[in-house]
Amino acid sequence: MSLEFAYYPGCAATQVQKEADWSARAVSEALGIGLHEMPRATCCGAVSLRETKPAFSLAVSARILSEAEEQGRDIVTICNTCLQTLTHANFRFKNEPEILEQINGVLKEAGVRPYQATRKVYHLLWVITDQVDQELLASKIVKPLNGLRVAPFYGCHNLRPEMIFDSKAGQDADHLDRLINVMGGEAVAYDGHDKCCGFHVMLSDKTEMRQMVAKNCLSAKDAGAEVMISPCTLCDMSMGSYQEIAEQTIGHQIGLPEMNFAQLLGLAMGLDQSTVGLKRLHVNPKPALAACGVL
Amino acid sequence: MAVNLYTFRIQRNTPREDGTLETRWQEFRVEAEPTSTVLTALEEIKGHQDGSLTFRQSCRSAICGSCAMKINGRTRLACKTHVADAVKNGIVEIAPQANQPVLKDLAVDIRPFFQRVHKIKPYLQEGDETDTNVGKSAYEQVNHVTQCIMCGCCYSDCTMAEVSPDFLGPAALAKAFRFVSDPREGAKSERLKDLSDPSGMWSCARCAMCVEMCPKDVAPMEAIVKLRTRGVDRDYHDGAGQRHALAFHTDIQKTGHLNEFTLLMRTVGFWGTLAEMGSALHLIKKGKAPSPFPHKAAGHDELKRMYEIIENNPLDVETKADERPPE
Repeated sequence: MSLEFAYYPGCAATQVQKEADWSARAVSEALGIGLHEMPRATCCGAVSLRETKPAFSLAVSARILSEAEEQGRDIVTICNTCLQTLTHANFRFKNEPEILEQINGVLKEAGVRPYQATRKVYHLLWVITDQVDQELLASKIVKPLNGLRVAPFYGCHNLRPEMIFDSKAGQDADHLDRLINVMGGEAVAYDGHDKCCGFHVMLSDKTEMRQMVAKNCLSAKDAGAEVMISPCTLCDMSMGSYQEIAEQTIGHQIGLPEMNFAQLLGLAMGLDQSTVGLKRLHVNPKPALAACGVL
Repeated sequence: MAVNLYTFRIQRNTPREDGTLETRWQEFRVEAEPTSTVLTALEEIKGHQDGSLTFRQSCRSAICGSCAMKINGRTRLACKTHVADAVKNGIVEIAPQANQPVLKDLAVDIRPFFQRVHKIKPYLQEGDETDTNVGKSAYEQVNHVTQCIMCGCCYSDCTMAEVSPDFLGPAALAKAFRFVSDPREGAKSERLKDLSDPSGMWSCARCAMCVEMCPKDVAPMEAIVKLRTRGVDRDYHDGAGQRHALAFHTDIQKTGHLNEFTLLMRTVGFWGTLAEMGSALHLIKKGKAPSPFPHKAAGHDELKRMYEIIENNPLDVETKADERPPE
């Protein structure tokens, strides 16, 4: 299976959660995964564009998918919401030929290459745990986690709705759990693992969003987690960058270091702290990582 | 078929005099076939092991919606869930629904759920917008929503309901979509206006848990998405959720990318932005400040053309449920 992909990091990774992008590129290079730039790719519009301008949303996704198709590559992303948005559009293009034809009509008129619905959309986490040779992956772990208790926080938009995705999703998804095991950590089972980080209501329902962050983090901490990892730059922002803000809202200390899965994988693969942007994290993971020998 | 021995770990709740609950977990061993339902096993326990175990049930056929309960952490109908699908590490864990007060053991007070359903006025109203011409496609539009049996699985697992006592919730909003989309309804705009209020359709966090957990494939979140589209089409823009959603298409046309720097101001306004300054500074201290000048995607002028083509010749791309006979 080819490990060459059109790389679609998403807005958050290029503007705010840059450490996830740096780590994704670094671990991919070390694992022989080729990430190729998509210079024409725009924002996918996320859930918002699908609600406000449904046809334009499909056209935007088709243009992005078409660029990957022109490269002859499938798309890989590190944002769950981009994953869900592009996958949802792609699912419709593959199953509703009349929709694809209508949208391609718009693309052609605007001077854009039409999409033939031949591509797949993957999360980098899926590529690393499903497509990379797992013995190779294990051989790259030079700084094992030595039993560090890690909470996997999957994020909604790589799990649901289950039927659209090109990998195991829904309640069967186990990618993060498997990766934690390969890294030598202990995956913690907890109630919040497949719940919502609240990112999409961060501004409209801010108190509720912060309660979601707090509940998920506390449920992981109560189950013994020392660190939390997520495959999504938006979950990282909620569960990591907003955790101290959530603490203020609920009036209760949490203190659970959260980081992108590629950051922890990078460290376990022996990459240095600056490569994975460790100092950009709000809740400092260094004590927990030093205690288990990763740092 | 082979009979297996299963361990049922059941949450027992007993009301105290002061109105609080005493909660404990009790284990039962049950012989059952893998394809037996969880409800059959609960009946076995109640009939032969502990007659005090309390739970709701009626039709045994996934029609009445009475036996929704937490089965291994997520809410399912006990009569539709096979024991073999429910068992995890040798144990079937059963607890009452969440987000509503527990009365005893597995029985909850279902009034909060139904109060929300009543709040959206679950009946047709006469009014100026009543259309007497009802085409076949009108039913296709709401078909999936009419499957709802009001079991409350979606509300119990709703991640927003868990933190918001006021949120209308998935089932009520899906029901609202059914009336907004019915040609015979006379007050469609008024409904959409009411649903645009705080804790209404814009408060859904879009986690899709309701899509996953609904035992009747109602896909409430998909109905919420369609409600939002109808709301902004009728210019009900007065809310942070709406303004945030509407920022995307203008940004994408300008540069291809979201301008996260100005997004806050456009979503919550000047005073809202001031109130968020603490959060903004918290992000900036770790270098997480978005640039006010996002990078321009190659060929981004194509986006403006695509947008204008669609605005001039609107396309109906809304998903329609397939025609299917009632289950």
